Amino acid sequence: MLSGLAAAELGLLLGFGMMRPDMGKMIASPYMVWKLGSLAILAGVACTVAISSFSPTGQPRRGLMLTLALALAATVAGAFVAPGSAENHSLLDRLEPVHGMLCALSIVVLSTPMIAILAILMRNAAPTHPTGSAVASGIAASTCGAFIFAFCCPMNDPLYITVWYAVACAAVTAMARWLLPRGFRL
Amino acid sequence: MLAAQNGNGGAYRRLLGEISDWLHRYFQRRLPPGDVDDAVQETLLAVHRRRHTFDPHYGFGPWLAAIAKRKWIDQLRLLGRRPTEELPGDLAEGDHEASVTSASVLRSLLQELRPAQAQAILLVKVQGYSIEEASRETGLSVSAVKMNIHRGLARLTAFLEKPSDVE
Repeated sequence: MLSGLAAAELGLLLGFGMMRPDMGKMIASPYMVWKLGSLAILAGVACTVAISSFSPTGQPRRGLMLTLALALAATVAGAFVAPGSAENHSLLDRLEPVHGMLCALSIVVLSTPMIAILAILMRNAAPTHPTGSAVASGIAASTCGAFIFAFCCPMNDPLYITVWYAVACAAVTAMARWLLPRGFRL
Repeated sequence: MLAAQNGNGGAYRRLLGEISDWLHRYFQRRLPPGDVDDAVQETLLAVHRRRHTFDPHYGFGPWLAAIAKRKWIDQLRLLGRRPTEELPGDLAEGDHEASVTSASVLRSLLQELRPAQAQAILLVKVQGYSIEEASRETGLSVSAVKMNIHRGLARLTAFLEKPSDVE
């Protein structure tokens, strides 16, 4: 259901012609492999952790630590795929706050249907750690949203990606952490 | 549980009875006695509400234990939130130990006397009756009451002079 929704969102974006125009040229570059690859791995692991935590015997803590470790590893790996022109710009130029906020907002919007699906799944299941499951759901939804948005994002700076995608993921996770356990009763 | 999931009401009833006993033992070791029944009921309700999530491939014990543990934690949180009031400092009253001990010793001493002597001493010397009132109460003459008191007290004095017999 989750992958179907992600595929539908991606199909809609690509159908409306919102894919970055130079995708054909960039798809094989180390930067794009890093960006799409690490986000796909993170989304897959986070979704598995979230769904397995919905079982009463599921323990989300270990899975969450694994996801965070993977995110850190992806961030470190990003340092090795920096595009050549990036070092010549100041930090503010590289971060482009206005564009970055727009990217983060887009990821939050794309993640919202995922959160809704995960909330339904969680309420129909029996998680014995609702808070941990909510956090795992937030990370899963946000990484899925970020993965979909990565096909449209025209920015080529790993620092920009790390900072603004992390901001978006943190916002979505905080929203899920606050919303999902509300009124939940095992 | 599998039979219960398939709609077998008898099996489900038997299962709930069996796990109810197990849950009582589980919570009796972990919660104050007054909260055990609540925790058992909450867990049984959760088992009923979430019975569709049981996967027969993973065993029933861990599934039930995970739900019971969650309910145990919930119950502990409730205990923590329960309002408590500090007891006022002037709640304690004076010590009654001396009077209780005296009453107990007197009762045991009076048992050593004849009933008429014990009754006369109890009425006049303990409860504050006059000789005439005690005479009316017991149906004896005034002089008989006086004599019973006199002889009873003499007997008690003699008894108390033997220290090994007291206590």
